[in-house]
Amino acid sequence: MARRARGAGERVSAITSTADVAARLADARARRTPLRIAGAGTWLDAGRPCGPAERVNLDALRGIVEYEPGDLTLTARAGTSLAEIERVTAGHGQWLPLDAFGDVGGTLGATVATASSGPLATAFGTPRNQVLGCEVVTGAGEVIRVGGRVVKNVAGFDVTRLMTGAWGTLGVITEVSVRLRAKPAVDETIAVPLPPDGAAHAQRWLRASPLPAMAAELVSPALAKRLGIAAPNAPVLLLRFGGNETFVRAARHAVTALGDSLPAPATVWSALRGVDGGGTCTFRLSGAPARLAELWTATTRVIQDAGALAHATVSRGVIRCVLPAMPDDALRTLLGALPPATRIMERAPASCWDPQPADRATASLADGVRRVFDPDGLLNPGILGIT
Amino acid sequence: MTPDVAARLARIVGERRVLVRAGELRAYESDGLPGYQQRPSLAVFPGTRDEVVEVVRLLAELGLPFVARGAGTGLSGGALADDVVLLGLHRLTRIVEIDAENARAVVEPGVVNAKLTLAASAYGLHYAPDPSSQTACTIGGNVAENAGGPHCLKYGVTLDHVVSVTALLPSGEIVVLGNDDGEQRGYDLLGAFIGSEGCFGVALDVTVSLARDPQAVRTLLADFSSVDAAAHAVSGIIAAGIVPAALEMMDTAAIQAVEASIYAAGYPTDAAAILLIELDGAAAGIDDDAARVEQLCRSAGARNVRSASDAAERARLWQGRKKAFGAMGRISPHLVVQDAVVPRTKLPAVLAEIQAIGQRHGVNVCNVFHAGDGNLHPNIGYDSSDPVQAKQVHDAMTEVMAACIAAGGTITGEHGVGLDKLPYMDELFTPATLGAMCALRAVFDPARRANPGKVVPVHSCREWHGAPAARASA
Repeated sequence: MARRARGAGERVSAITSTADVAARLADARARRTPLRIAGAGTWLDAGRPCGPAERVNLDALRGIVEYEPGDLTLTARAGTSLAEIERVTAGHGQWLPLDAFGDVGGTLGATVATASSGPLATAFGTPRNQVLGCEVVTGAGEVIRVGGRVVKNVAGFDVTRLMTGAWGTLGVITEVSVRLRAKPAVDETIAVPLPPDGAAHAQRWLRASPLPAMAAELVSPALAKRLGIAAPNAPVLLLRFGGNETFVRAARHAVTALGDSLPAPATVWSALRGVDGGGTCTFRLSGAPARLAELWTATTRVIQDAGALAHATVSRGVIRCVLPAMPDDALRTLLGALPPATRIMERAPASCWDPQPADRATASLADGVRRVFDPDGLLNPGILGIT
Repeated sequence: MTPDVAARLARIVGERRVLVRAGELRAYESDGLPGYQQRPSLAVFPGTRDEVVEVVRLLAELGLPFVARGAGTGLSGGALADDVVLLGLHRLTRIVEIDAENARAVVEPGVVNAKLTLAASAYGLHYAPDPSSQTACTIGGNVAENAGGPHCLKYGVTLDHVVSVTALLPSGEIVVLGNDDGEQRGYDLLGAFIGSEGCFGVALDVTVSLARDPQAVRTLLADFSSVDAAAHAVSGIIAAGIVPAALEMMDTAAIQAVEASIYAAGYPTDAAAILLIELDGAAAGIDDDAARVEQLCRSAGARNVRSASDAAERARLWQGRKKAFGAMGRISPHLVVQDAVVPRTKLPAVLAEIQAIGQRHGVNVCNVFHAGDGNLHPNIGYDSSDPVQAKQVHDAMTEVMAACIAAGGTITGEHGVGLDKLPYMDELFTPATLGAMCALRAVFDPARRANPGKVVPVHSCREWHGAPAARASA
């Protein structure tokens, strides 16, 4: 293990191999010391209700393990950044269409562990649909390899799906295999300002359009302004079309039925991923996709006076709200006024963290799964906010 | 099985729906996998959701193991019940709801795959996973196996199309897995349930997402004078970044079997291999992609590439592919259809190796498969009652599996492990990994009564050093 300096109280060995992870976990088990598993550490300040723990940084466990462009699959160590994967695959006209929010310095392992995705999930799904397999060191100290490196695989029980989105509570992901896509010949973004109540219309148009978009993101007026789209105080539909020239030309033409489009800067998607409201709270709301327009209207009514930024992945029925700085009690009032929906906190002060509601039977299963993979409860304890 | 159990089950489902006599049970002694016959101790066929719950709760009370079965079309022996209760779910055929606004449907487990698409077609929607057995197989079985099909190349497998499941655990407890909202919180228990081959419980209802019918479809038939050239064409299309809706390969033996059957599709019988390539989506740009595919096939050595001129010709081309196993089944008493996946760049090498293996063992291996996914279905016609032939087939298939694993692939892409693939699990996974799978199964089924002896070899279940298997509060 290479040594490198860390803050006081932290163990100082940099982790560069699966064996290092296993050794670190064995050590923690022996000392009965909980661990906080981190990738690049870009979300560590998100306020998740994780108990006191020693931090394990995986950002030195990086590198592409296998990449055969003709297979459109890639295997990388967990600490490999999404930016690195983007760089390597772009050289072959390919990409991992996973545009999770936050910093592109974020790691593949953390993206999978948190099941994070972004606007491209419209066409390409979330990590659940893209991860082919992984290597994991479980909290029980075992190194397991589940799934595989091929694009179709039903051998054995699907532990890969459990690890995806488990927030590191079942094991430390050390290596991930993903499905890649070829980059489209043409990749074009179109911004269409909508009338103030245009969400429902946009949703109907998208549902009826025979020209599927790679991303269709509804953006609040304040956020549109922040992204440099010159829309006159109106919500904007950001559409991203990928395909051959004929397809994209037809899409460009079809969009005129929705409204006059505006030029969108090429950087708009990376700006959207990194948007920061200056506050301590970001959350997502979702309902069944057909509820999106109704949920958008009700949500924007609650948040607009607070100066929040909002955007929605229309086809998935998911709204994301980025709030500015505000006192905790005002924040609690705002959260309390939101319409009923599945709410996922990305970032919040500890006092505003949602407890995770689950029916008894499902909670019992989840607890059983946790006990199988992390019997001593050492990994990211409490981070899922399950009460 | 004591008469008392049959009587108690009959009180739930009616006497006609409990089979106990050997003659009656004979139909349930096998599934789509030849060479295996196992007789259930009895078979019970509930007709409603409430009856399913009552039956499973009674079996739990009595501590009796059971095997859930849909249409019995599975190809891995997963629905075989060896002297345990067979729980048939094919009578639960209600399409509870089609929600066109959300492009979803709620169905009971016994709904036949193709019937769901038929019902959805009124809304311009369809259910994307389309196993070759889709006119017979059930959604419940598809969920259990995480079934695929030709069109999974573009649209994804069952996992990608199931929104939520109401599951009945073997204990009789009911849980909702997944979430009808856009996102879910907590562990992906739904993802774990899908493909669990009946070991984690029984689906009482399944909410699936439906895909919109494409505006345009192009179906191309390319024929080649060598399997190798066809395999290179597949690699070329994938590498070029075109994602066909389906990209299927058939070799000469399969072509000739189809052309000699009532499913004759007009495939060129002198071709060494054909590719059936379907593009779908928006009308705009589809002909550009079709032209590109044709050019890629020709540069890989295609003798001819033609496009289906209308829907009828397209249907005919597809019928030949989907009924290929049926057509080959006519030729010999039994047909073993294997299922393995290799990296797509390895297709030419692995196909050549499979031919060599077949020759070494004196068996004729045919190939009909999802080439675009690298999902091979080598199959061999034989007579399973002839021990010499049975051994030749077994030995050849064992080597084929080893070759696929050595190429970086896996032992099953869509048929499941069941009984047939159990011996290969040790080749593919470490004892620690298999142990973790065993422990996971025990979370859903602590008594291990659901589909006993399938998926994970029993001997591997002693290797796990993790927690005791029992659920915390169960």
